Amino acid sequence: MTTFVAIRDTVVDKLRAILGDESVLTGKAARYNRTRVPAPFPVHRWAEYVPDLVVLPRTAEQVSEVVKLANRERIPVVPRAGGTGLNDGALPLKRGIVVDIKRMNQIKEVDLVDRTVTVGPGINMLKLNEELRKHNVMFPDDPASYPCSLVGGRIGTSGWSLIGGRYGHTRDLVISFQIVLPTGEIIEVGDGGGRKIRKSSSGFQLKHLFMGHQGTLGIVTEATLELVPRPEMEFAAFFHYPSYTAAWESTGALAKSGLASLGGVVLFDEYKLRYLRRDDEAYIPRPDHVRAVVATALYGTRDEVEPAARRIMRIGRESGGTYLGDEISSGDWASRHDRYATPLHGRLDTGEVVPMSWHCEDASINYSQLPAVMEKWHAITARYAEKTGILDDWGMFAYTNGAYKPWGDYLTEIDIGIWEQQLSDDNWPDWVACKREIAQVALDHGGSITACHGATREGDAELIPVEMGGGFDVMMKIKAALDPNNIMNPGKYELDRAYGLDEKVFR
Amino acid sequence: MTAPPYDPTADGGLQEQFVEQWRDAAYGCFSSGHKFCREVCPVMQVTRNENHTPTAFHANIVAMEQGNLTVADVADDYVHCTQCGACELRCPNTLFTGDFYRNRTQTVKVVKAMRALAVQSGIEQPNWKRWVEATIDAKSEPVLDVPVSQENVARWSEGLGLPIGGETILFVDCEAAFYRTSVSRSTAQLLQLAGVDFGLMREQWCCGGPAAEMGYTDAARQLADHNVADWRSYGAKRIITLDPHDYISFTEDYVEYFRPDYEFEIVHITELVAELIRDGALTLTQPIERVVTYHDPCRLNKRKGIHASPREILRAIPGLEFRDVDHVTPWSYCSGGGGGLPIEKPEITAEISRRRLARAKELEVDTLVSACVWSERPLAAAGDEQGIDVRDLMELVAESAGLDPRGVHGAAGPQQEVPA
Repeated sequence: MTTFVAIRDTVVDKLRAILGDESVLTGKAARYNRTRVPAPFPVHRWAEYVPDLVVLPRTAEQVSEVVKLANRERIPVVPRAGGTGLNDGALPLKRGIVVDIKRMNQIKEVDLVDRTVTVGPGINMLKLNEELRKHNVMFPDDPASYPCSLVGGRIGTSGWSLIGGRYGHTRDLVISFQIVLPTGEIIEVGDGGGRKIRKSSSGFQLKHLFMGHQGTLGIVTEATLELVPRPEMEFAAFFHYPSYTAAWESTGALAKSGLASLGGVVLFDEYKLRYLRRDDEAYIPRPDHVRAVVATALYGTRDEVEPAARRIMRIGRESGGTYLGDEISSGDWASRHDRYATPLHGRLDTGEVVPMSWHCEDASINYSQLPAVMEKWHAITARYAEKTGILDDWGMFAYTNGAYKPWGDYLTEIDIGIWEQQLSDDNWPDWVACKREIAQVALDHGGSITACHGATREGDAELIPVEMGGGFDVMMKIKAALDPNNIMNPGKYELDRAYGLDEKVFR
Repeated sequence: MTAPPYDPTADGGLQEQFVEQWRDAAYGCFSSGHKFCREVCPVMQVTRNENHTPTAFHANIVAMEQGNLTVADVADDYVHCTQCGACELRCPNTLFTGDFYRNRTQTVKVVKAMRALAVQSGIEQPNWKRWVEATIDAKSEPVLDVPVSQENVARWSEGLGLPIGGETILFVDCEAAFYRTSVSRSTAQLLQLAGVDFGLMREQWCCGGPAAEMGYTDAARQLADHNVADWRSYGAKRIITLDPHDYISFTEDYVEYFRPDYEFEIVHITELVAELIRDGALTLTQPIERVVTYHDPCRLNKRKGIHASPREILRAIPGLEFRDVDHVTPWSYCSGGGGGLPIEKPEITAEISRRRLARAKELEVDTLVSACVWSERPLAAAGDEQGIDVRDLMELVAESAGLDPRGVHGAAGPQQEVPA
């Protein structure tokens, strides 16, 4: 049985010796602001999840020393990058030390010969690409949080990219990285060895073990990333359809086009269109028969994209789509990071406008299962919206999910508005049950309960052992072997069971 | 250091009223959770401390509502803001549905309000306190070791024969009146050359904007009352500002103080000079052999959307090679000179300016042109380090118009100590 002790003054003194006074934060505001992430957590119980202190390291050696100290003293450690995750990876369930890596944001090497860039984990992709632009290359990891999420968090969650069909997702774009293990050792992991080697058969493929670890297996302190040529051309096309079914069929046809320049195909369902049209005629000002929309985008050289664009237009039209025009296509695609979930559209059943928080529930679902999952998810959401009176269905997306072969499965999301100001111990369990039912539907249809957010939070986490089956036993053995004292982000992923603990994720 | 829990009876309900006023606006940010503001914030780019992010500034209010934080816990965090407005522009709530719902994320106002709450609660920043006290004492900001006093407020205009009063008034900012007088002399002589009738105030006091930005609302109002009374005493109708900070004070703060009775047309000098050049009232003939880029002052570009007229002016100067960037990329740039930051946190201001000059250096220019006199002191200090000259737009225009305005443009140096 592992137990945690409160942080003593002597520990604070030792941390100050490692990091300097200015990089150890003990103030209340510093700690409260390292608790929350965008996804709703039980905000009415905010005070229960506040870490004991925050450190802002600048080097891997400092991180290592902090982790060694925490391991000796049995203090929980939670790494935090952007804190923009739609899961609870960066939320300290058991207080302890938050290691905030935002100051580790240096570009250490741009290698234009072997086509890599080596960075600290605290750098943001938009900022990185501002620097890379002068070399006419880019790091094409493009999540909805592109302007604010950080490379360390992308690795921690094994992120998904909006243009991953063409360029790959985070796991494909991070070549290797340095990680501080829960016992403080600093190691390099890749496919095999070789910091800039993309494919290896040496040993176990440790990069993939640590990709998506949600802070439970260590803290990433450096990453070597892929550089790709900046695309000469971007082409986006949006089509509209009279029904979801027509749009779904067209999505399949577009995704299976076999075009290497296809960044992705996005299916907006009827609920999403209704949500986006609330009051606001600026979005797709079209008649009622426009019920569903499909967006596609192509990237690459002019020689690739021009003929591919003609083919995409032909497939879109032949499969029942009507082109929405250049303005919406290029404009909406350009604003893809910001556009589709705004709290200002939040409504109660009565029509009353209230400030709602955006929650996005994700899963990986095979193409064939999308219509059935869509119907079940909306039905679950409607039931809990009626029961709680604080939820609002903001519609669904399905995005092509596979890197380079974007046709078999889809990142499937339902956006749900939550009136967080009304969260309480009475309705929180309903929200968790709603989430759990949504996740269970994904499993029932042969899917995975998350494509990119991670599943560390209550409502998802308890289904991880179900989804993983015998693999969960392997996870527990790995966790216990690497983190003998359960200091790294304890309480996540039900991994406390590896230590004989049977606590609920949220107390 | 942890403050005791909030006791609403101890402060006469001040914090409770503050939370009531701002809670829903704060939730608009808290619930969005996008944090797109963070990497454009000039302070956050330097400190990389999440306490200093616009999202934290809003989230703190939610925590205060829950009784988890008090103004004492957060007051220092709110010092870390230049009030440049980049976060508001980058906020998806503003960008996409703001127009329709008449919503604008108002982080600058939140920062000002929290600073005011801090002052009212007796939590003061020592340098701001001394700065505002010195301003009230001398009626101008204590910008330099030169005598800052009412007797000297118009000394910059010696020999120009400027009248007092009239329908159009040139309001000369404290920094331009005492520190960088080449800006005020250039501006005044350009207006004379173009045949614009204008005068100076009988007794110009500080606009009060800096005091308001630091949370000293009563001091700000006292200064504003005087200035408006001065304008009214000779029937002024139009006020020309040469400093973007004054432009904000007169078009935002004063409107709130005096509405519905606020009869003045406020004009910023870049808008007026662009018009004078366009109409042929000003002819720029002397070539300026420089390779320049333009620093968009935050209060013009980000807060007021004025980015076209300065560019139009630069393109009208013969001989000048103007290496422009669009006006959106510089949303993440700043001099660090605003919001009182250089008075409390001069090292952060210096670093923000250093990074701004590094951006200019990438364009291989010899000169960075600004249109904000407050930005020019920290920018010039960084420019000295990096071998780039920092000039005010009006100085270059005057030179190109064949004027010899003289005046000093203050030697770059560390921010001056505030008199104790």
